[in-house]
Amino acid sequence: MTTIATDPPRNGPSPLERSYARLGVLLIAPTIVVFSAVIVYPLLAAIYLSVFSIYTPTLEGEFVGADNYVKMLTGGVFWSSLWTTLIWTVGTLSLQIIFGVGLALLLHQNIWFRSLARSLVLFPYFLSTVVAVLVWRWLFNDLYGALNHGMMQAGIIDMPLDWLGSMPNAMIGVILVGAWKYFPFVVIAVLARLQTIPENLYEAARIDGAGPVARFIDVTLPQLKSVLTVIILLRAIWDFKEFDLIFLLTGGGPVTSTQTLSLLVYQEAFGLNRMGQAAAYSVGMMLVMLVFMILYIRRTGKES
Amino acid sequence: MTTIKGLNAGLKRRSVLTGMAAASAAAMIPRRLYAQEQITLRWWSPQSSPEQLAAYRTQIANFEALHTNITVAFERTSDEGYAPQLAAAFASGDVPNVVTHLPSFAVSSYWSNGLVEPFNDVIDMIGADKFYDGVNRIYEIDAGQYAGTSIGNSAANMIWLRKDLMQEAGIDSNPRTWDELLSAMGKLQGGGVYGAALPYGRNSMTSLIFAGVIHQAGGMVFSPELEVAIDSQETRDALEFYRAMREYCPPGATNYSWGDSLTAFVSGASATGIYTGRVLTNVLNQNPGIADHITCDVYPTKSVDIEPWTFNDFPSVFIPKAADNMEATKQFAAFLFDPEGYIEQLHAAPGHVLPVLSSIAEDPTYLANPVIEKYRAEVDLMSTAAANGFNLGWESPEHKPNTNAGEVINSGVIAEMVQRVILNDENVDEVLSDTSRRIEEIAQG
Repeated sequence: MTTIATDPPRNGPSPLERSYARLGVLLIAPTIVVFSAVIVYPLLAAIYLSVFSIYTPTLEGEFVGADNYVKMLTGGVFWSSLWTTLIWTVGTLSLQIIFGVGLALLLHQNIWFRSLARSLVLFPYFLSTVVAVLVWRWLFNDLYGALNHGMMQAGIIDMPLDWLGSMPNAMIGVILVGAWKYFPFVVIAVLARLQTIPENLYEAARIDGAGPVARFIDVTLPQLKSVLTVIILLRAIWDFKEFDLIFLLTGGGPVTSTQTLSLLVYQEAFGLNRMGQAAAYSVGMMLVMLVFMILYIRRTGKES
Repeated sequence: MTTIKGLNAGLKRRSVLTGMAAASAAAMIPRRLYAQEQITLRWWSPQSSPEQLAAYRTQIANFEALHTNITVAFERTSDEGYAPQLAAAFASGDVPNVVTHLPSFAVSSYWSNGLVEPFNDVIDMIGADKFYDGVNRIYEIDAGQYAGTSIGNSAANMIWLRKDLMQEAGIDSNPRTWDELLSAMGKLQGGGVYGAALPYGRNSMTSLIFAGVIHQAGGMVFSPELEVAIDSQETRDALEFYRAMREYCPPGATNYSWGDSLTAFVSGASATGIYTGRVLTNVLNQNPGIADHITCDVYPTKSVDIEPWTFNDFPSVFIPKAADNMEATKQFAAFLFDPEGYIEQLHAAPGHVLPVLSSIAEDPTYLANPVIEKYRAEVDLMSTAAANGFNLGWESPEHKPNTNAGEVINSGVIAEMVQRVILNDENVDEVLSDTSRRIEEIAQG
């Protein structure tokens, strides 16, 4: 019988392990410091501000406890803005996905000027929001807008349509512009994934007699599932907190029909100079977004 | 007598030591105490058309020529954007030195929160006796202390009319009452031309113009004692009139603000407009074909026994309390009224910003402007109307200065009331009750 010599039992980590641990702490410290400064501090500051009644220009005020939260939960404005935010997010995200996947499939084909088309499709995403909104406002203009002019020339309408000043046109308008502005992100991500799908899967499907639709449903979509999930979660988070595009297009109007939570926070903080109430709204908004974030973290964690 | 070895300049040791001590002391003086240290003053204004910017550059150059150690940087803001920008500036302490062309009620609000430097010194530098009577009274929120002054007057709700279209429609006089205006609208609208370009958007223009319409019905938003008084029959009448006017405005008027409303009239898309004297320059530059056919008048009222109510936002000049280089700042603020630069600034938009100094209004140099000469009757009318004008911060001579007017306008509550009643067709009584409650909440802070 032989015995294998083993090291004597240790009471704690070895000096080398302790050294590595110290090095690890040292290396991660800058990240922690930056993370704390740019994320944790603003977050805590927002929560802190939300229990005060604060006049924005002076940042002075008094402690009001949970009053701002009570007002948020019992007043209708938070809930109506949340509903508006959900309509905007679901509407624009759906169109982004449909157009984005459709165009990615098209650009994946061997078509003429494919490289040029792939470059041009990114144009709306790179364009400054202010410039994009100015262009769209001009297109939507009732007196000189190309959209109304074209539709009247085509005999679709007799009188110019009020695109941004009445409902439901205003919501449709911002959803369309949002979809146009952000669908290239979907195109880029889906196109990248399409290029990695093994061709032999399609060949096998063809041998089995699958047509184009069947190949899309049974091969392409399952392959795109993971990337689409991440895209939908990321874009849902970004669209949920969209501010500049909606603010510049409609200002939240007519009345409050397109006033999303971001616009509500802005209005409270700078229109009414109520920074405490605005902070409470933003904390509420963050809690809603937390749902998206948890889903995203779980999804990416599962994949990794 | 002792001299330091090695120096053959014949310097005494005492002189050298004194010089060294002086140099050391100079090195220890804080930088800002250097009399000739280069400093920069920041000037904010929402008025920044190309012509106005050129005039500002002249004023800045003239001031910098007199003060070689001072540089003035102009930074533009906007009518819809100044409130958040200034709120952020005040909160951070990084404020501009001088702010001009904001409505007087904005200054009142900042003053009441201790954010504004008293302007008495500047008014003294300009010369209090040079101002028209009463120009500065709206800035005297606390007795004897002025929060700012007006850099100009404006008549922002003048009705602009196309004489040629009126003649074609058989209208021989300017409408004086709402009934006459509505009757004229029916005749003027047609052939691709809308009757009016009133704002129905969710913005400050709608709030400010509609506050005027309430007064044109004989009502008010706040009582002279600053109690909320918007829930009245007069406001109901004003809403009815505004609703009746909607069918004569372009479809997109539901999103109109100052620029859209101005463009609609200047381009010829509407037969009447509502704006300041900026119409004159824009018509001459952008649509000279109608330049000989335009005129203006005070906006009609509900009946002849109700006096016209002109909205003058009293474009202001004030200094944030936290501004640095206060002495230089005050000198610059006063210099803005120096005749040469001031007249050029007024000429940048003739009739849009009207003089507040009586000496300037009668100055031949001011009057010798082609636009003012061509439209002298209109400019005189606007000057008179503006001199007797009001705004939400000061609704009548009996009213106290209202330090909550800025928040009421920026909240959009009045514009929302207009939209709810006219666009959404909601119950007027419920909307007015709700609006009244919301304004009271704002007024209570």
